[in-house]
Amino acid sequence: MSTFLPASSLTREKREVMLGWGLVFPAVFIILALILYPIVYNIYLSFFDVNLHRGNTFVGLENHRTVVTDPTFWRSLGTTVVYVVFTTVGTTLVGLVVALVMNQKFPLRGLVRSLVLFPYVAPVISVVFAWQFIFDPVNGIVMDVLVERLGILNTRVNLIGSPSSAVWIAIVFSIWKNFPFTYLMLLSRLQGIDKNLYEAAEVDGASGWEKFRYVTFPEIYFVTSSIILLRVIWNFNKFDEIYLLTTNVRVLSVYTYFKAFVGTMEMGQGSALALIQFILLIGFILFYVKKVLKW
Amino acid sequence: MKKMLSFLMILLVLISFGFAGGQQETADEMAGPVEIDFWTTQTQSDRLATIQVLVDTFQIMNPNVTINVIPVDENDMPTQLNTAAAAGNMPAMIECAAENAVAFGSEGLLDAEGVTELINSIGKDKYYAGTLKLNESSTPGLYYATPYHGWVQGIWYRADWFEAAGLNPPNTWENILKAAKYFYEPSNNQYGILVGTKAETYAEQCFTMFAMSNGAELFDKDGNLIFNSPEMKEAVEIYAELAKYNPPGPQTWRARDYYLQGKMAMFFYSTYIMDDLALAEAAAGSLTSENFADLAGASFDPELVKNTRMASTITNDYDAGYGVVVSLALPDQGDAAKTAAAQSFMRYLYTPNAYITWLHMAPGGMNPVLKEIAVNERFQNDPKGIFSNYGADKMAEIIAGLDNIETFSIVEGNRIAAASTIYSKQIIPQMIYKITQENMDVDRAMAWAEAEMNKQK
Repeated sequence: MSTFLPASSLTREKREVMLGWGLVFPAVFIILALILYPIVYNIYLSFFDVNLHRGNTFVGLENHRTVVTDPTFWRSLGTTVVYVVFTTVGTTLVGLVVALVMNQKFPLRGLVRSLVLFPYVAPVISVVFAWQFIFDPVNGIVMDVLVERLGILNTRVNLIGSPSSAVWIAIVFSIWKNFPFTYLMLLSRLQGIDKNLYEAAEVDGASGWEKFRYVTFPEIYFVTSSIILLRVIWNFNKFDEIYLLTTNVRVLSVYTYFKAFVGTMEMGQGSALALIQFILLIGFILFYVKKVLKW
Repeated sequence: MKKMLSFLMILLVLISFGFAGGQQETADEMAGPVEIDFWTTQTQSDRLATIQVLVDTFQIMNPNVTINVIPVDENDMPTQLNTAAAAGNMPAMIECAAENAVAFGSEGLLDAEGVTELINSIGKDKYYAGTLKLNESSTPGLYYATPYHGWVQGIWYRADWFEAAGLNPPNTWENILKAAKYFYEPSNNQYGILVGTKAETYAEQCFTMFAMSNGAELFDKDGNLIFNSPEMKEAVEIYAELAKYNPPGPQTWRARDYYLQGKMAMFFYSTYIMDDLALAEAAAGSLTSENFADLAGASFDPELVKNTRMASTITNDYDAGYGVVVSLALPDQGDAAKTAAAQSFMRYLYTPNAYITWLHMAPGGMNPVLKEIAVNERFQNDPKGIFSNYGADKMAEIIAGLDNIETFSIVEGNRIAAASTIYSKQIIPQMIYKITQENMDVDRAMAWAEAEMNKQK
C-alpha cells in the first residue's frame, strides 16, 4: 500500500479510515453483487416485457397492472395469508407448549430435548418424500388408517394432491418442521428467568396460570415477538418446503415461480410479483416493529 | 470524506453490475482441450452410469475432449435451456423429445446446419423416414435435431381380468370407458385406469391419442389454430370422464406402480414398461400375497408379465397411435470447437456398439431409428430377455410404429412450429388439470387454453 499511497501524506486518522474500508470491502462487495444487484435488477425488470431471445421492451406499469387485476394473484395472496397466519400461530403455540414442558425436570430430559429438534435439522427433501409416501392415496399409511382401520373416511382421498386440501397439509408440515426453532429459542429464554420471581409469585398465592401470565409471559414477550416476526418473514417467502411437498399450493412465491419460469415464462410479470411481495413484506415489518416490538 | 464515500459506493455498484452481468467466454482455446456439457433426459442413476461408460470410452479415444453428463428432468428441459440461453451458458449437446427440439429450434436456440450435416454424413436413407420428419424444420431438408431413439405408447391392461369379465380389449373409446367403469372399485383400493391429470407432459401424451382418434387437431395445415372444435371438445370430455376412474387426486406416470401392485386394470404407458415388468418379474418371488397379507387391495400377481397386454391404437373415428422420438441436438452456444466436439460424440453414439449399449439401457423403451440397428443380431439379443419374452415380431411392430407417429405439430406433412411450442409450454396438461382437479367447466377451460395458445403464435 505504501508504494502508491505514501504514508507520510496521510494523517493517522485517515489511515484508520482507509484500513476500515479495506476490511469491510469484501463483505460490502459481496452484499452489493449478490443481494443489492438482484433486487435492483428485479425492480428494473418489472417495468419491461422480458423476452429472453429478442430483448426487453419498456412497458411502464403494465406488468404491475396485469398482475393485480388477475384474480389468480388475489387467490394466491389469500393462500399466502392463510399459510402464514396458521403456520406462524401453529409453530409459536406448539413451540411454546413444548418449551414449557421441556423446562420441567423429568428423566432423560436431555435426550428428549435433542430428539425434538429432529424435524428442524432433517434435510427438507428427505422428509418431504417421507410425507408424500405417508399421504399416498393408494399405498400411504394415512389413508390406510383413516379408511380401513378407523373408518373415519368412506373413500380414499389424495390429501396432498387435491388443490383444496393440499394447503392444510403444507401448513401441518410447516408447523411440524419448524416448531423446534421456536421451542429452542423459547427454552433458552425460559432457562434464563430468575427462579426468585416464581418463588415471590408463589408467596403471593399465584396459581399456575397466573405465574405464566404475570411472570413467564412478560419475560418471553420480546423473544416470542421476534420469533413471530422472523417466522412471518420466512414463511411469507417460503418456497422450498411448499413446492417440494406439492406443486398445487400456489402461495405467492410458488405462483411467481410458475409465472416467471414455467409455461409462458412471463418474467416481467414475475418480477412485478416479486416486487409486490417485497413491498407487502416490508410494509408488514415496519408496522410490526413499531407496534409490537415497540422500537 | 463524504464525497469519497459516495464515490466508493457508486464504484462498488458499478463493479457489481459488471461482475454480475456475466461474460461470454472467448473462443481463443480452439486448439486446446475442449470441455462440453451434455444434457440428457435420462435421469435414473443406472442409465447415467451406462452413459458415463460411453462417455469414458469416447474420452479415451479423444483425449482432448471432456464431456460432463448432466441429467435434466424432461419437464424442466424447456425452462432450463431457455434460461441457459439467456445466461449465455448453453450446453453443447442435448438429448430431448423431438417435439421440444423443434420448439427450441424454432426459437433459434439450435445449430440446425451442424446437425443436418451429421444426418447427411450418416445417410438419410438409413433412418426411418418418419422419425426424421419429426425433427425437420419448416425448410425441407434442414433438421433441428437428429432422432436417436423412441418409444410407442399404448394402453397396457390386465388381459386376465378382461377375459374373466368378458370385456373387449381397450382399443376403442367405448371399450375403454366400459372397462374403466367396471374395474373401478375404490372401496377395494382398486382403480379402473390411469390417465395423466397432473399438469405434466404425461397428460398430453395420454390425451393426444384421444384427440387424434377423433380427428381433432390443434392447427389446420395452414397454421390456423383450430383447437376449439367440437371434435376436440368430445375428446376432452371423454378424457375427463375417464379421469374419474383414476386413483384419487392428480396423477402422473408414477402411478403405474399401482398397476405393478395389482391395484389397477389399465394404464397409459410407453414400451418402457416392458423393462419395468421384467424387473417386476425378477422381484415377483418376494412380492406374493402371503408376504403382504395385511395390505388392502388386490394381490400381486406373479404372472403379471404374461397377463399384461398392450393396445397400441385407440379407435373412434380414426385409428390413432402415439409415441415420442427422442433426439440429439446441438444448442447454438457460439463456440465452434465445442460444436465440433459434440458432433464427433454424436457420431460416436451412432456407431453400432455404442448405439446398442445405449438402447439396451431400456430394451423395449429405447428403440433404434436406424434400420440396420433394428435388425442387428446383438441388438435383438438383449440382456433382460425382452425380445425373447415378447417375440421378435411384436418388437418389429413396435419399432415400425415409430415410423408412423402422429403429432399435433405435423399436419398433412406441414410442420407447425407453434404446436411444438404449445407442447413444451404444457398448455394442454394445465387445461386437463383445471378440468379434472379444479372442477373447471370444459368450455371455460378450453377457452382458457385457446387464449394461452394464441399467445404462442
